[in-house]
Amino acid sequence: MATVVEAVNLKKTYMLGKVPVEALRGVNLKVETGEFLAVLGPSGSGKSTLLNLIGALDKPTEGTVLIEGVDISRLNDNQLADLRRRIGFVFQFFNLIPRLTARQNVELPMAISGLSKDERRKRAEELLEIVGLKERVNHKPTELSGGEQQRVAIARALANNPSFLLMDEPTGNIDSKAANEIIRLVMRLNKEKGITIIMVTHDQRLASQTERTVQMFDGLIVQEKVN
Amino acid sequence: MKVSDILSYSFSAIKLRKLRAGLTTLGVVIGIAAIVALLSITQGLQNTITMQLETGLATNTLIVSAGGGFGAGGQGRASSDFKLQANYTEIIDGLSPDIEMSAAIIQRAGWIESDGRELATAIVGVDFAKYGEIYSSAFVNESGRIPQNTENNMLIIGKRVNDPWKNGTLFCDLNDDVKIIWTNTTTFPIRNETYTGHVVAVLKEVGGFGIGGPSDSSIYIPISQAQSFFGTDECSQIIVKLKNSNKETIDNVSKVITDAFSNQVSVMSATAMLNTLSSVFSVIELFLAGIAAISLLVAGIGIMNIMIVSLMERTREIGILKALGMKGRTVLLIFLFESVIIGLIGSVIGIGSGWGVANLVMIIFSGGGASFGNLRGNQTGSFGMTITPLLTPTVAVLALVFGVGVSVIFAIYPAWRASKLKPVESLRYE
Repeated sequence: MATVVEAVNLKKTYMLGKVPVEALRGVNLKVETGEFLAVLGPSGSGKSTLLNLIGALDKPTEGTVLIEGVDISRLNDNQLADLRRRIGFVFQFFNLIPRLTARQNVELPMAISGLSKDERRKRAEELLEIVGLKERVNHKPTELSGGEQQRVAIARALANNPSFLLMDEPTGNIDSKAANEIIRLVMRLNKEKGITIIMVTHDQRLASQTERTVQMFDGLIVQEKVN
Repeated sequence: MKVSDILSYSFSAIKLRKLRAGLTTLGVVIGIAAIVALLSITQGLQNTITMQLETGLATNTLIVSAGGGFGAGGQGRASSDFKLQANYTEIIDGLSPDIEMSAAIIQRAGWIESDGRELATAIVGVDFAKYGEIYSSAFVNESGRIPQNTENNMLIIGKRVNDPWKNGTLFCDLNDDVKIIWTNTTTFPIRNETYTGHVVAVLKEVGGFGIGGPSDSSIYIPISQAQSFFGTDECSQIIVKLKNSNKETIDNVSKVITDAFSNQVSVMSATAMLNTLSSVFSVIELFLAGIAAISLLVAGIGIMNIMIVSLMERTREIGILKALGMKGRTVLLIFLFESVIIGLIGSVIGIGSGWGVANLVMIIFSGGGASFGNLRGNQTGSFGMTITPLLTPTVAVLALVFGVGVSVIFAIYPAWRASKLKPVESLRYE
């Protein structure tokens, strides 16, 4: 299997006022194609920072992140933007654009990539059907429940056929019933479509269903487990 | 991202904040409307004045006056004791074969009385025959006839003296005897000189100002009568008719005349006067446009302010867009397109309303009708002209470019800041 993401001795230091905060202190990680990895850890352990670096949203202070073999620290802002089009993000707070409908939100990454109106409309409807929102395509986020919004966010993340999905606590802000549906959807995407998923979660139940979990603490990976 | 998609995204952002966008657009509307209204009124005024001058001033005439005369366009300078005498026409007539004839004008401000009513007017002493020949299209009788052999009490009146209120209520008419009065300030004590004139002709309406040429609000008396009535041989102007209106002829004769009077007279040609007028109007236009531009500048600052507020509100949205792979320059374009849309809508509405305001102002100033005058009490309308605001395509296009340009310029900084936002920090922004 090919390596999709590789982090080598990854360090990230933030300045909190004048105080340096070491969010990551040397993380090494490899994720293979088709893998479903859960990243666990308490608040402040560096999970989200790791996700941001892997998602090319931020650059490391030290070390390298290789995405499909490309060192992201060597890329300029435009190249990073291009790279992000091949990564699907799912955030805890959905991060949908409120004024756009579900379909328009799903179309957005495809519009950014320059796809024609017809192509993206068709694909957006297909994706919303996959996540079970066929009947809600013209609803705006405020007209959808938390679980539905997260499903729209997952459909949006899949829009550009990404190399992998990055999920930051996808069930962290929805009720348990909706969370179960999301878990089932995510598992199905991984098993049936072979989509590589890296997920930060507090949800032990969800983590236990993944192939592999890594436990983070204080900016380091302290435990790795294959389920 | 395709340009059409960026535009549509910008438009959806504007639509979301309709009231705010509307108020921002209003700023541009007011700025552009002010520019368009002022410029179209000025251009309309210039157009009207130029047209009327062209009517009143035959292009083959020169106006000779003592001293600096009409300023920039004139030639020559006079010492303070030089006086232009009425009989200098004889000298001028012999100066060049290009000169057909010349006529002296002696003019004073005064008033006339008829049936116990008074009307302020300009009393102009001219040789009726010569003056009529020089201004063959303007010094034309509507009623009565312009006499070839003059008698001292003969009086020709302009149309606005005959019918000052333009409503058929005549102040005086053909064959009336009217009292002509002027205040002689050269005597001590000051006294009013007066005599009774007999109206032998009413002129056709000219509509011009009568600079050099006939005016609707003047009365005309024989020059010999003017000399004795005003007690002077000194004339205000000498009008010279040339055989043609070539530029060389105008220049040559102008030079010959100024040389003959040792640079103590100014010679003004209709062409030079129109040029002078045109340059004066250019300055006025620039000045007015400058004042109006200040309001557009204020609108621009408003746009910048709104964009910065919008940038803060949409920081998280920008973070999402960047996380989805949008480039900084596309974010920049989204913000700039928003300002282009506001500028474009504001400018188009501004041009329309500016044009409307210009017309409204002209209607109000002309008292419901379309003419512009100062008819009041016993004052005759001295202009008696109609001003139609003029909006040239150039002004419309420039206003549009200026409106959109100002909107874009003031949006550059907020747009640039938006494009430079870091995705991680923007996504964390609350």
